Amino acid sequence: MITVALPKGGLLEDSIRLSQAIGLDFSAFLDSSNRQLEIWDTTHTAKALLVRNYDVPVYVEYGQAQLGIVGYDILREKRPQVAHLVDLQFGRCRMSVAVKATSSYRTVLELPPHCRVASKFVQCASDYFKSLDLPVEIIPLYGSVELGPITGMSEAIVDLVATGRTLKDNNLVEIAQLFETTARLIAHPLSYRLNRDGLQDRIEQIRTATLALV
Amino acid sequence: MVYQPPVGARDLFPLDVAQKRWIEKRIQQVFHSWGYHRIITSTLERLETLMAGGAVEQSTVIQLQDTEGEVLGLRPELTASIARAAVTRMAGASYPQRLYYNANVFRRAAKGVHNRQQEFYQAGVELLGADGIAADAEILLIVFDCLRHLELEDCYLVLGEAGLTRSLLSPFPDSLREHVREAIATLDRITLETLPLSNDLRDRALFLLDLRGQPTDVLQRVSSLDLDPEQRTTVNTLKALIELLQDAHSRQLSQATSAPSSPHPLTPVLDLSLVQTFDYYTGIVFEVVGSHGQRILGQGGRYDQLLSLYHPQGKTCPGIGFVLNIEELHQVLLSDGQLPLQTPASDWLVVPTSPEAYAAAIAHAQKIRESAHLVRVELELGLHDSPAAIREYAQRRRINQIAWVSKEGLSKIETLSVNL
Repeated sequence: MITVALPKGGLLEDSIRLSQAIGLDFSAFLDSSNRQLEIWDTTHTAKALLVRNYDVPVYVEYGQAQLGIVGYDILREKRPQVAHLVDLQFGRCRMSVAVKATSSYRTVLELPPHCRVASKFVQCASDYFKSLDLPVEIIPLYGSVELGPITGMSEAIVDLVATGRTLKDNNLVEIAQLFETTARLIAHPLSYRLNRDGLQDRIEQIRTATLALV
Repeated sequence: MVYQPPVGARDLFPLDVAQKRWIEKRIQQVFHSWGYHRIITSTLERLETLMAGGAVEQSTVIQLQDTEGEVLGLRPELTASIARAAVTRMAGASYPQRLYYNANVFRRAAKGVHNRQQEFYQAGVELLGADGIAADAEILLIVFDCLRHLELEDCYLVLGEAGLTRSLLSPFPDSLREHVREAIATLDRITLETLPLSNDLRDRALFLLDLRGQPTDVLQRVSSLDLDPEQRTTVNTLKALIELLQDAHSRQLSQATSAPSSPHPLTPVLDLSLVQTFDYYTGIVFEVVGSHGQRILGQGGRYDQLLSLYHPQGKTCPGIGFVLNIEELHQVLLSDGQLPLQTPASDWLVVPTSPEAYAAAIAHAQKIRESAHLVRVELELGLHDSPAAIREYAQRRRINQIAWVSKEGLSKIETLSVNL
């Protein structure tokens, strides 16, 4: 029996579509009246856990789920010990630095030293500024980081940008891109090595389905 | 003021100890039966000793400073200490040396991990001065023997060959080889797909990443590569090792007279992607994985270069060993319901019938203790004020015999029915 950890939020719909493409139906998670966190697929060959996207690699690292679907941004942020297997190509967005449109900063290097940068992605942000040798103070926030520059708490933010609409609506502009991210298929390393319950076959099916869907 | 243990520390109470000893005793019996002798090395080592092999990261060592300012560390594993001790103190010893240990090790929890355990217990062996198939087989057979004595025969063994894999990585350009090795070691297929490699090399990297499965199948696949003579020899040696293990096992099965030996999965998963990101192991490497596929119960491998690092003249000496992680075994065995669930009860409670009767009671208790087998005898210390309270105490502590001893040394024996 295989357990898959699926992320709540933006990646869920595509993840469920991909699961359906390999014959596993977890669409009950999309029903707005659903309150279950663990469901079996209709053929009873696999189970899915519905967890917060940050928690997907945790369940996979500890082996409670053999497979998981999660954004590359979170893998980069948390560096879990999991096998990175397939770039699933959906959920494409970019990790960017943004500032107030009215500010004078148009490149990252123009930011004043020791300025404040608000972000949910503390690790990614501090790695990035360290690589530029630019000393900044990272302020961890857990939602709506756009408010950082708006309220004047921070000069810049590091956040995921998909269409850029949220930035625009809040009068922010992107001045640099850290990396591009997409959804990834990850696996528990030991389960992958032992290939129990036909795990390898499932992974190959997902790889094939991804190529077909793109 | 409440004194708390340091973060990551843990006290072992009598039941924990009884369970831990249950595991360690079985493992030690196996080690003894293979002719291994126990070595006890210092808990503290110089940091440079611990790090010489390249397998230990400084950030994981709990460090201390001695009065001369020398940086010391609490050992995170035993092999470095044993290698140091063996080359410096055992010169002139005859080889092979068969050593085992059963000791605590310390590892600093990674940053960002909360309250992770920092002190662990390990039992392992080192076979020094012997190379070749027979020595490799001996080590793997001791692993199987330990698992059999712990009734953990449904574990998995993942077996690799670090020397062979390293050699198979040699066609990669210097600038990328470490990236390729790291991606293979961490099973990062996406990185292998995106590194700037030629198509041939990319195919080779992906081929190495998934070079695992049934040994015969994997050996066949690796033989399809264009191998140099040395690589071919290593592949043949690996094949011979696996055949020897299987042959030894089937003979063992046919000799088994008593308990039906389970069809032990002596066939390991051969996994040539099982490598470390550092050069420590030189030959076979392996991991023992619990039956649920979630815990690494032990690991080991061959390290033929390590001892030379500790030798004053850099003399090389082959070595191979493995370690079993006691806490991981403990967790698995506990959920299997195999470990003792109670500390052993005392056999007797000796009660003086009056304050003047202590001398007689002590003498009586001592007489019972001096039996050929261990007899556990408790002396009533006057904490219970009535015979009823004494009986209740005995019942609660699962003691089923009370000896009431008078001043004159006369004893009256009472047998209680034990409520479990």
